[in-house]
Order: sequence, then structure tokens, then C-alpha cells
Amino acid sequence: MSRPGTDDPDPVTEAIPSREPGWFGQASARYGRVAVTGLIGLVVVFLIGPVVVTFVASFFQNWTGILPSGGLTLQNWQLALGIAESQGAQRGLGGFWTFVAPDVLFVLDLPVGPRFIFSLPFDMTVQTPIPVALGFSILLALFGVVLNLLVGVPIAYAVTRYEFTGRRLMNTFAILPIVPGIILGIAFLKTYPNLPSAIALVLGYSLLKIPYMILAVQSSFESMDLRQMEESARALGASWTTTFLRVIVPGAKQGIVSGSIICWTLAAAEFNFSYIVYSRGPRPFSLFLFENISNNPFLRAAAAISIYFLIVATVTALLNRLGENGFSIGGAR
Amino acid sequence: MSTPRESARFERLRRTRIGRVAFPKTETERERRRIAALAVPFFALALFGAFIPLVTMFRLSVAEEFLREVSGWTLSPYRQLFASIGAFVPVVGTEISASMTASGEAANPVYGRTIWNSLWFGAVTTVTSVVLGIACAHGLEKYDFPRKGLLVTLISFPISLPGIVAAFMMIVLFGRTGLVTTFLGVLSGVDPITLQLTGQPSGTALAILGLFFGYLYSMIPRATLLLRGTYAEVNTDAEEAARALGATPAQTFWHVTLPQIRPGIVGALILTFRTALAIFGTVLVLKSLSVVTFRFDQLIKVGYELNIAAALATLFFLFTLLFTFLSLRYTSAEVAG
Repeated sequence: MSRPGTDDPDPVTEAIPSREPGWFGQASARYGRVAVTGLIGLVVVFLIGPVVVTFVASFFQNWTGILPSGGLTLQNWQLALGIAESQGAQRGLGGFWTFVAPDVLFVLDLPVGPRFIFSLPFDMTVQTPIPVALGFSILLALFGVVLNLLVGVPIAYAVTRYEFTGRRLMNTFAILPIVPGIILGIAFLKTYPNLPSAIALVLGYSLLKIPYMILAVQSSFESMDLRQMEESARALGASWTTTFLRVIVPGAKQGIVSGSIICWTLAAAEFNFSYIVYSRGPRPFSLFLFENISNNPFLRAAAAISIYFLIVATVTALLNRLGENGFSIGGAR
Repeated sequence: MSTPRESARFERLRRTRIGRVAFPKTETERERRRIAALAVPFFALALFGAFIPLVTMFRLSVAEEFLREVSGWTLSPYRQLFASIGAFVPVVGTEISASMTASGEAANPVYGRTIWNSLWFGAVTTVTSVVLGIACAHGLEKYDFPRKGLLVTLISFPISLPGIVAAFMMIVLFGRTGLVTTFLGVLSGVDPITLQLTGQPSGTALAILGLFFGYLYSMIPRATLLLRGTYAEVNTDAEEAARALGATPAQTFWHVTLPQIRPGIVGALILTFRTALAIFGTVLVLKSLSVVTFRFDQLIKVGYELNIAAALATLFFLFTLLFTFLSLRYTSAEVAG
């Protein structure tokens, strides 16, 4: 092997770094680790700092200087949840839905004989336990997840277990988010003009979030010996359908649960698609957040966003118990 | 007596390609039926959720009349877009544009500028967040941190936040009463109005810097997690050998680690750039730069120019699709997984 410094600079020699480290090499040895660690610290502060500040500030009365001040209050949260008695409370989450039973339930009008009037002996009001908009969003996202499960688990099994032509292409299509949310929103505008917003939103959510479900379920399937499991179950007399439903699917429980949690959270906060598609009916949660951010006083918006932070924190804790590091599985997207 | 299964007609049906999948006789055919059955829900969702809407969108972009019924055929939205893109080209732009429009006059370069904004801003934020992502993934993989799992959880937290919340986080940090603004204001004694990065007029340097941080907020976590996957596959023996043979950490990184993670970096650049192009909520709140996604909002909600929006969306979609698949060819298939 030729040494650095000889006359012919052949490419092999060029590729060998010089023996004596220069100032940069020395600096990298001494400070490199500190610099990278510092950078990571800075990134974490940049990402998490404002979250903590927002959450803390939402409990204060005002915030003018560097630190929030003016004593603790729950007013911001009450306004955001729409449960405070104030003007503009409808801009909150819509308050609790109060169901008032009608005085007259129905009238039975037979051609002969007297009219029967069915009614309740007293007025009935039912209060829902959670604010309407929040509950509606939770439900929409939940329907999206159900659709995701019906679609995602089978396709994940097909591409992991079987060999067939076009498998890789199908895999790529399944786990790449092909259509951005805003494009899909524009595409939905004239395609399903008469579809209620709720159904269009569920359809869109499930399409936009399906890669996360497939990735999560796939990672579970990959850790199982699918062929052996299937063959053992079949040899013991189970039909293929039974094998799939009672052996394979329960085995991938972890992936299915964490995929559902991730899909649900991301769908509940999906904004780009909802903003374009939503036209009427109860508002999804992300639009409520948007309205708060663009129209409301700072601290009230902070409280509104903190509602979502609480949801995400709960979900993250759940995911960590399942053995995932928060939303890290979604990092692929 | 013949049962339906034995009739000649059924046998002919069974012999067709689809028939063999639907009524299998051999085990191979049965397996093919299973694969088909497993894939059917996905294709149904893709058909109704993506394919039909996208085709309708394309139809809309070439429709003459779209307000009530979609009817007629015209290429004028595309002509208008390309004329505008042409008009944006420096020096010769006016002539290019004039040759494309029917009236012979140069078009307004607004779409050209918007597309250019999306591309350069996306590229700058992508490179920055991938570089930061490499540093984070490197540290998380190589160094011993206490509570490393918590660190990963914290870094991945913003993935769950929609763009509008990322924008609000920027207001918290860089707004008029934001933490950084107030801090710098106290430090330098300058009025915070000249320091704030949000709420500045659109297109000014400070406003764009604020949006830049807003993009980074959504993109750094994605880039970091993509690269963490790559780092997990790096052969540490080679790095240790390099260090033992006297290479400095910088040399080890440059000559040993970097060649190994290069495909991962390319993959991260592609996917992060896609993310950058599709960011919408952040721009909608901060209103700092007219990018393509922001233009959609104005086309749809302000003026109801649905055909131009559809044309622009079609171009946007084709670009991201081609870009992704071309790049996937040049990197390994690992990128997708």
C-alpha cells in the first residue's frame, strides 16, 4: 500500500485519509459529541418547549411579558370547551348537547275511532358527557379506523405472507401516502357533492391514514412465522378463514392496536383535507382548532390546543405501554 | 342429473382467468383466490377514495362549464397555468408567455412565482431538516443518553400535530409576545415588533424565516425517524475499526458512516420534500409566503376558480407521483419500508 505523500496520486491513496488529524479532526474528537448532544437538546427544546409553554399558559389569566402572569384560572378552558356562560360560547366546542324530548311523540290517527296521542308525561333532557364537536370528531375518526382495519389488515397480510407478481408494487402503493390531503380534498369537491360531509370525511381519513395502519400491522406480521402458523392451523383442521381470523389476526394484536391508536389520533386532527371538504353538519375538531387559532384570544386558543395535547399525551402513554416509542412508527411518512 | 357445478356452461366460465380465481380447483388457484380476497377491500378503498375523485378532478380541470354540471372540453386552465409559468421565466419570460396565450399578451406570472416558491422553500427546509435529522439520529444511535426512549417519544411528538398547531407553536416562540421575541427584545432593547417572525407582511424576510421554522417543526421529526431506521442498519464494526486505526470522529463519519447511510439520506430527502410540498395548515395560519397549497385556498375559498385549482392540483399530484417513483428507482426499495 502506498503512503500518502508519494508522487503518484492514485485514487486508492486519495481515498485514504491523512494520518495526522488536522484542526477539524482534532476539534471533532474533542467537541463533536458535545456539539451533537447540544444540537439534540436544542431540537428537543424547539419541538417540546412551545408545547409545554402553551399548556401552562392556558391556565393563566394573561401573558404579556416573558412569563404568563395574573393568577391561575380555568376560564380559558371553559371557554374553549364551550361550557362557560358567555357570549361567543358557540365558538367553543359547542357545549354539551342537550336532548329535549318533544312533548308529543306521535299521533296515531286511525280512520275510525278516537285519535291516540302518545306523549311523555314530563320533559326529558339528556346531557351528553362530552362536548358535541369533540364527540363528533372522536366518532368520525373512529369510523375511519374501522375502515382502516377492514382494509389494512388483509392487505398487510397479503403482501407479507404471499409471493405473487406485483407484490412489491402493491406494497409500495399500500404504504406510500400517494395523495396529499389537500389534493384529495380538491378531488372530493366535485366527486361527491351530495355526500354528507361526515361520510366524505370518514372516507378521506381512512384513505389518508391507511399507510400507518399497514406499516404497524406489517411490522407485527414480520415478527411472526406466518407460513408455519398458517400451515399448523390448517393441518389441525381449521379452514383458511378460521385460521386468518382466529390465529393470524390475534397474533398481530400489538400492531393492530398501535396502528389503530395512531390512525385514530392522526385522523382526529387531520386538517388539510377536512378544511377543503367540510361544508355542513357538525364541525370536525381540527376546524375548531383552526377557528380558535385564527380568531380567538391567544390564551383561549392555547386552551383549545391543550385539549388536543392532552389527547395526544394520553395516546402516547398508551403507545409506550404497547412498546412503541410514541409516534415513531409514523416517522416513515 | 347435473348440478350447476358440473354443467358445461359453468365449466366454460370457470376456465376464464377470472373464473379460475373465483372457483378454484387446485391449491395454487385457491391461494390466488385468497390473495385476491385480501386485496379487494384495499382496491375498493383506493378506487372510491382516490381513483374516482382524482379522475373527476382531472375531468374538472379540462371542463368548459363546471359550476352546475361538468361539461365541455377545454385546455384553457392548463394554457393559463403554463403561460403564467412561462411569464415567470426571467429575461425571455414575457415572450414565452405571450406565445402561449390566445390574446398574445403576457400572462400574470403569479402561478409561476407560487410554484417557484413552493420548490425553493421546500428544498431549503428539506435540506436543513435532513441535516438536523442526521445529527439527531446519529446521537440517538451512537451515544448513551439517559431515558433514550423518552427522547425518541419527545422528538416524534410533533408528528401527531397538524400544521395549524405547528403554526401556533411558532406564534408562541416568535410572535409579538413570543418567548424568543421577548427574550431578544429584552436583551437588545429593540421593539419586539421589528423582531417578531409571525404577523409580518407576507413575503418579507422575517415572515419567511418564521415560516421556515414552522416547516422545520413538522419536518425535523419525520426526517429524524426516517434516518433512525437507516442508522439501525449501519455496520458498527467498520466504524470501530476506523476509530481504532486512528481516524478522527469526523473522518470516521465522512468515510465510513456516510457511505453506508447514503441511500437512507436520499430516501429521507425525497419523503421530507414531499412533506414540505404538501404542508398547508402552517401557511394558512402564518400567511407568510404564497406557496402552491396556499394558492389552492385562495382559488377555492376566495374566488371559486375550481377549474384552475383542479388543473394546478393535477400538475401538483403528477409531479409528486413522478418524483416519488423516479426517486424510488434510484434508491433502494428499503426507502419505502
